[in-house]
Amino acid sequence: MPRGKLTFGGIRNVKDPIALSSPHIRIAVDIGGTFTDLELRDGATGAAHSLKSQTTPDDPARGLCDAIAQARDTFGFANADIDLILHGTTIATNAVLTRDLPEGALITTAGFEDVLEIGRHARSDIYALRGPDRTLLIPRRRRFGAPGRIGAAGQEVRPLDMAALDVVIDRVADSGAAACAICLLNAFVNPDHEIAIRDRLLARCPGMAVSCSHDVSPEIREFERTATTVLNALLVPVIARYVTALRRRLADEGITAPVYLIQSNGGAISLDMAVRAPVKLLLSGPSGGVLAAERLAAALNAPNVVGVDMGGTSYDVAVVADGARTVVTQGEIDGLPVRVPMVEMHTIGAGGGSIAFVDVSGRLQVGPRSAGAVPGPVCYGRGGTEPTVTDVNLILGRLDAATFLGGRFALDLDGARNALQERIATPLNLDPDHAAAGILAVVNARLAASIKFALFARGLDPRDFALMSFGGAGGLHAIEVAQELGITRVIFPRDPSTFSAHGILQSDIQHDLSRTAILPLCAESLPALRQMAEDLRARGADLLKADGLPAGAQGTSLSADLRYRGQAFELMTPVPHGPLTAETLTDLRARFEELHRQRFSFDDPQELVELVTLRLTATGGLDAPDAPPPPVATAGQAPSRRRVHVNGAWQEVPVLRQDSLTPGTPVPGPAVIEQPYTTMLISTGWTLTATESGDLIARQEPAP
Amino acid sequence: MTDPVDPVLLEIVSAALVSVAEEMSVTVWRTSRSTTVRELLDYSTAVFDAQGRNVAQAARMPVHLNSMEICLQHIAAHHIPLDDWAMGDVIVTNDPYCGGQHLPDFIAFKPVFRDGVRIAITCVLIHHVDVGGGAAGGYSPRAVEIFQEGLRLPPVRIVRAGKMQDDLFATILQNVREPDTFRGDFLSQIAALEVGARAVRRLADRYGAQALARIGAALLDHAEHGMRAALSALPDGTYRAEDHVDGDGIEEGAKRIAVAITISGSDIALDFTGTADQAKGPINATLATTTSAAYYAVIAACGVTGTVNAGCYRPISVTAPEGCLVNAAFPAPVSMRMLPGHKIATCVLRAFAQVMPDRIPASYYGTTFNHAVNIRHADGRRQVYFDSELGGWGAHPDADGPNALAAGFHNGQNTPVEMIEALFPIRFTAYGLLPDSGGAGRTRGGLGLVREWEFLAESGLLNSAFDAFTSRPYGLDGGQPGRGGRLSVTRDGATTPLPAKTNGHPLQAGDIVRMETPGGGGHGDPALREPQAQADDLLDGYVRGG
Repeated sequence: MPRGKLTFGGIRNVKDPIALSSPHIRIAVDIGGTFTDLELRDGATGAAHSLKSQTTPDDPARGLCDAIAQARDTFGFANADIDLILHGTTIATNAVLTRDLPEGALITTAGFEDVLEIGRHARSDIYALRGPDRTLLIPRRRRFGAPGRIGAAGQEVRPLDMAALDVVIDRVADSGAAACAICLLNAFVNPDHEIAIRDRLLARCPGMAVSCSHDVSPEIREFERTATTVLNALLVPVIARYVTALRRRLADEGITAPVYLIQSNGGAISLDMAVRAPVKLLLSGPSGGVLAAERLAAALNAPNVVGVDMGGTSYDVAVVADGARTVVTQGEIDGLPVRVPMVEMHTIGAGGGSIAFVDVSGRLQVGPRSAGAVPGPVCYGRGGTEPTVTDVNLILGRLDAATFLGGRFALDLDGARNALQERIATPLNLDPDHAAAGILAVVNARLAASIKFALFARGLDPRDFALMSFGGAGGLHAIEVAQELGITRVIFPRDPSTFSAHGILQSDIQHDLSRTAILPLCAESLPALRQMAEDLRARGADLLKADGLPAGAQGTSLSADLRYRGQAFELMTPVPHGPLTAETLTDLRARFEELHRQRFSFDDPQELVELVTLRLTATGGLDAPDAPPPPVATAGQAPSRRRVHVNGAWQEVPVLRQDSLTPGTPVPGPAVIEQPYTTMLISTGWTLTATESGDLIARQEPAP
Repeated sequence: MTDPVDPVLLEIVSAALVSVAEEMSVTVWRTSRSTTVRELLDYSTAVFDAQGRNVAQAARMPVHLNSMEICLQHIAAHHIPLDDWAMGDVIVTNDPYCGGQHLPDFIAFKPVFRDGVRIAITCVLIHHVDVGGGAAGGYSPRAVEIFQEGLRLPPVRIVRAGKMQDDLFATILQNVREPDTFRGDFLSQIAALEVGARAVRRLADRYGAQALARIGAALLDHAEHGMRAALSALPDGTYRAEDHVDGDGIEEGAKRIAVAITISGSDIALDFTGTADQAKGPINATLATTTSAAYYAVIAACGVTGTVNAGCYRPISVTAPEGCLVNAAFPAPVSMRMLPGHKIATCVLRAFAQVMPDRIPASYYGTTFNHAVNIRHADGRRQVYFDSELGGWGAHPDADGPNALAAGFHNGQNTPVEMIEALFPIRFTAYGLLPDSGGAGRTRGGLGLVREWEFLAESGLLNSAFDAFTSRPYGLDGGQPGRGGRLSVTRDGATTPLPAKTNGHPLQAGDIVRMETPGGGGHGDPALREPQAQADDLLDGYVRGG
């Protein structure tokens, strides 16, 4: 594979002094709410290192630079040795969730100013008598109608009245908005009016952040497109501010390596592009874990994997099927649709901090309410009074107060026991062990159900999958959840604490482009399809060129959102490579029908298939270092033992440190495996084996 | 109360039973054919215990879920006793006069056996695309008896001992307009019943059939307990209210719905005596529809947030005189039963407002705005454009009503304007909130919608099954009613108002069709509205000054 100026990998000879002085350190940084995780790979030696430092919420760029400086000092490299920095961030997500957004305005086709507020009508709580608090990112007073109309076929039904438009622009200018979204009906077919309005607006308000729907999400369905464009416009100032701060800090540090941000689709994007399309960063955080799961699944030859990330408050489920992460064309944040491709993720409110309580009708409930980081579980001793899943794990000996989180802080076991007794065991008239085990059984059933539905909705069977557990709280639940689902293989990555950063390190540049046109899938549509594909390819090539990537590292793939005529939803179907011909269409139809059968159990060979949206994914290989990971150092420690409540009874169970496991030597359950970040519980009937790469695989022994 | 059940097992099995209903629901969604099912999600699934008591539901349509048990009990009592339901049978009916609601809804049940003993019943209700009769889709506005509304199937074993009764199935398919789609949806319905049956058998294998039965009974007891606790907290007494539906399109004049709710201890009785006689046209409700709407309103008023199951129904009794609008007597037509259904719910809530004035909102828009255009293109090609719309919520004592959001007895989604324009000869000129449509009050009713489009094809026929034009959504505690709905057509600059029930109004290219949906009622004296809220209303144009 040809290598470009950004690449570094095995081709350079480590003994070559020129190579040694050229950049060879690749850094991935994942900035989470509490910790900033860094992982680096030394392309010269293949060495991998990771560290954790504190996130600095007031100025995340500072935390990032601190982490890099700390890594530099710890692992011994110079700023000039850094070839690339890849960066996952929750800044966009947090800005939306906390409404830390600038005031914005919206220009729509006149008569459709309320589309953003009307939404799609359906409500989720069917018995509620008080309406839900709805998210209104732009109030009606700052939504303006532009005179002019584009028809469904892209034709100009009514021209833009420039005099009337200037009145609208005056009102936007006077509204105090710092950002403005422009979303006109049918702009995905013909963007001319949007472009004209944008140019006029920018001429009048040069500093305003302006986003157009044809640019951000050129797809049919006005509400989804409007909401996505509005989010984008409001995030532009937020991300621009961050990128400016980041650049300044890096420059101050003397770091000149290029920086890329991770998008919701798992691909990387340049800082300049991110400032233009910040809405693509909304799922940046979790997508790193999915990338890592995809890579590890491939390395372990496990094409079907459910990746689960159990933290303090939530349980994220992602699916890798046939070796690839599953991607959806639309996600959601805070009740608003985000119409850009993203890694498919199912989230429920269940984690270590989930609170167990007895409800008014006398029933035991666990979550979704969480004790969060503050006050946290009762055992943290920070004022929590209601027992959580973590408290229960401590009470049942699954967590060890002495080694929890590396033994960094003492846990209050008695406090947890008292809370359990008072809040659960006494009201339900249960003995404490039964109450505690019951709480775990209830939460595990919820976790299993969420996985079952993530797969079931796609027509997939859990028994064909391995479970991969990588959140801090997940190791104690993974095997019991797998058992519930009939899954017989559970994978624990070698280093779950920086798993997400590890995934980010493997990321390539990715641009997702799309064009909507409702066309029958038949030979007559070929000229139009070819034209659309050409346009998309040209735009993709321009973007990759702007990223500074050589042609050799570039690749594109097409997919089509297809449906049977009359359906109101589409299936994303990969388009065969090569020129678009009549055979391509036949092949494409066959692929669509296979997907349709898998997902909906039938196909309809007589019915017309129509295209709604054509998609192009343009990737630029960043050529992640592919040196094998360093060997596992085994500490060779003898296991200790402690009493753990497992498989329904208290047992003396061996407790092993992860770094004492010898690759290839099976450890039969019951057993507890500890490492600084997480604890894993291996049930009776399961056997755990460390691989040469240091990852852990637990298998259920076949019933005798 | 039955024997105490381990509280942990109760939770796990409760979640597992809901999960069975959800699995059935996903199966229907995955395997059905029609847009009604797949996109409007007009179907529901549930699990019953061996005695036919509803123990778990998949959260879907309150209108369906709360009527399934009535249908099952009716079949058992009058048609096929439960003990005659054999292994491998599927019993199905769509008869509104047998516990159903209207003909397009086919309700199918399957008994689940283990070791020769019936341990549960699974149920799938699907709104099918067509049932024959006077109009496509089963909504014949001119029907004056149910025979004109389509095929009526009494409770029959469509599958007997695992064998599809092909003769019977062929007879049904012969009588519907879209037999292929019907067949696909029906087979999906039967497949989902078996998916549920298998899942229940797995639960019985794991926990034991007896334990499963005890847990089912305990779940009903807990739900009943929650309802009774809420009802006991209310002062005993009888509280009356009324509301209205517009005329049926055949005879003039609004129809009165009256209810008296009597709370006595932890029991509640709803009596609809005083309601108008049944209508000639299809705006009638059977007692199953009425009971379902009443259950919805009582459960919502009691603030039940956890599991909804048949235990919630136990404290509630519903009566209505035979032959009235809300207990129609055979052979009255019932296809537009959603119209009285909504108003039964708002009427019951209005009575509750006297008992819990701080919890009950003013009336929401109170109907489902179904409309359709039979389109004829210049080249002779035909198309049918069907759509549905809704309006604003009533004001809550603590908060303004949301604008344009699904409320009450139904739930649903709109269709994107761009999708309509891409598929039909229709071009929208406006889709927006309707200023001043929300009832004024200390808290304001949510706004209704204006929906206006130009017809582009050569000719067409417009049909509507609207309501709440004259019977406006009520306000509470001095709040104003929401504005009523309107429908009009403008041709060559001249605007013609159309009735709520418009039947085949001719359209030609260039005609502008405009519909306005009601806003919700207001709550409290408008003079007491916060000055800031008043100023915001003006700034945002929700209310226009002057």
